[in-house]
Amino acid sequence: MEVAEEAFRAIERVEGRISAFLEISRERGLEEARQVDARVASGEALPLAGVPVAVKDNMWVAGRQATCASRILEGFRPSGDATAIGRLRAAGAVFVGKTNLDEFAMGSSTENSAYQKTRNPWDLTRIPGGSSGGSAAAVAARAVAGALGSDTGGSIRQPAACCGVVGFKPSYGRVSRYGLVAFGSSLDQIGPLTRSVADAARLYRIMAGEDPRDSTASALSVGDPEGAVGRGITGLTVGVLAEAEAEGLDAEVAADLAAARQAFADAGARVVTVSVPRAPSAIAIYYVVASAEASSNLARFDGVRYGPRTSEADLASLYVATRSAGFGPEVKRRILLGTFALAAGYYEAYYGRAMRARDLLRRDFERAFVEADVIVCPSIPGPAFRLGEKTEDPLTMYLSDVFTVPASLAGLPAISVPSRLTQGGLPLGLQIMGPRFGEEAVLAAAAAFEKRAAFPSEPPRGVAG
Amino acid sequence: MADRSSPVDAAVVRHVASLARLEVAEGDLPRLTEQLARIVSYIDQLKQIPEEGAGPGAETATPLRADEPGPCDGAKALAENSPRSVHGYGAVPRVVGEGA
Repeated sequence: MEVAEEAFRAIERVEGRISAFLEISRERGLEEARQVDARVASGEALPLAGVPVAVKDNMWVAGRQATCASRILEGFRPSGDATAIGRLRAAGAVFVGKTNLDEFAMGSSTENSAYQKTRNPWDLTRIPGGSSGGSAAAVAARAVAGALGSDTGGSIRQPAACCGVVGFKPSYGRVSRYGLVAFGSSLDQIGPLTRSVADAARLYRIMAGEDPRDSTASALSVGDPEGAVGRGITGLTVGVLAEAEAEGLDAEVAADLAAARQAFADAGARVVTVSVPRAPSAIAIYYVVASAEASSNLARFDGVRYGPRTSEADLASLYVATRSAGFGPEVKRRILLGTFALAAGYYEAYYGRAMRARDLLRRDFERAFVEADVIVCPSIPGPAFRLGEKTEDPLTMYLSDVFTVPASLAGLPAISVPSRLTQGGLPLGLQIMGPRFGEEAVLAAAAAFEKRAAFPSEPPRGVAG
Repeated sequence: MADRSSPVDAAVVRHVASLARLEVAEGDLPRLTEQLARIVSYIDQLKQIPEEGAGPGAETATPLRADEPGPCDGAKALAENSPRSVHGYGAVPRVVGEGA
C-alpha cells in the first residue's frame, strides 16, 4: 500500500512537467494494492508484490481506458486484461495508469497522440521518443519503476534510448499479443521499460510464454532470463554491426559505439565486426509491411462496434465519416500507404517485393549470427530532437528508426541500454540484438554493458527538484 | 516536387482513399500526394535488391487449436462499447430494402 501511495505521489511530482499519462488510476490502483497486501498476508509469494507498473494505452487493462491515443477509441473500456497484463497482475503488480503514445503506435516522437504531447524528462523542450514515449518518460522521471511498451519498428527501444532507460523488445512470439491493439501483426511485441536490465528481465520472464489466445505465441520454454543477467560474457563473441559504422554517423554516437567495443572487450568478450548487408533497406521494407498490416488491422475501426460514431446517413458514409474524423494525419497516411501497397496492380511490386526483401534480411542475420553471439549497434542515430522539429516531413521522422527496424523485421530479441549523455546532456543508448529466441545472450550482454557504461545515476534535470 | 516517374498521383490517392474508407479533403490532396509520392519513391530503392534465394518472407503455417466451444465475452463487450446497440446487437443504418 505504502509503495502504491508513494508511486502516486511520485507521479504527481513530475506529471505536470512531462505529461506522460493519459489516465492515472489512483482509486483502482490503491484498491489493487490493498488486494495484494491481503494476498501476501495470507502467505502467497508474489514476485512483483505491489510493484507499480504503468501501461501504454494500446493494451487492455480491465476496466481502464484503451484509447491508443486516438479519438476513434475515445471512451472505449475493455472488460478484460491483456494476457501479459493478467500475468503481471497474478504476480502482484499494481497498475497505476495508462501512458501516452503516438496514435495507434505509429510514430517516433509521441507527437502523433491525439490527446497531449509528452516531454523528455532530460530536456522538457524535447521529445521522449516514440511510440512508447509516455512509458519511457514515466520511468525516466522515476514516476514508476517499470512500464510496459509495445515495439513494432523500435517503439520500445528508441524512446528508451531517448529517455535514458532500459527498453527490451523480446523475440517475436515470446509475449502474447492478446489484448495488445494490433498495428503490425507480424512485428508487434509487448516489452518492459525499466531502470535496470535485471528489472526488465524479471517483467519479461513473468509475461512470456505460450498463450492459447495468441497462435503466434511460441511454446518454447522461456528458459532463465533472470539467471542470464548475472552470467557474465567471458567467451561470448560480440559483433559490432559494420553497416552502423558507415560514414555519416553522428560523431558522438560513433564515439559511443567505439567505447562500447572497448567495454565488451574489458568484460571478457571477443569483439568482431559483422555485416548484415540488407540492413540499410530495412526502413523501406518496414514502411511497406507495417503499413500494409496496419491498413488491414485498422479496418475494424468503423463506428459500429466501439468508439464514437459520426453520421448515420447510410452505412458507407458512417464508415468514411467516422474514420476520417477519428484518425489523425499520420495514421491516415500509413493506412493509405498500406492500402496502396496491397492494391491490385501494386501488390506484387510493393508488398510482394518487400516481403522477399524481408526474407533476405532475415537470412543475412542468420549468417551474421554464425560469426557472433550478439550484434550491437547504436539504438538511435542522434539524441532526442526538439518537439516540432521533424513533424513537417514524415520521411525524416521515419529515418529515426534506422537502427531498430532490422531486428523487428527479423523477429529478433533486442534491448536498448543507456550508454552515456551527450555533451548537451541528452541520453544515448546501445542496442544489443540476439538470434531469434536468444533472449538469454542478449540479457547477459546487456547486464555486462550496463555495469561498465558511463551513464549517470542522478535523476534527469528536467524533473529534478 | 513529386517524382515524375512516381506511380503516386492525385488520382491514385483518391482511389486508395476510397478503398480505405477515408475521405481526403480536396485542399489536403496536393500535400498528401506529395508526401506519399516521396515515401513511395524512397521505398523504390527495394528494386535494387536482387531477389535470388528469397522465400515468401512469412511464417507460412498457422498453428491450429482444437475446435472446442468455450466462454465468450463478445456480446457483453458489444453491449458495453457499441455506440448504438439494439437487443445486444450493434445497430447501423439500414442497408437493404426500402429507405436503404
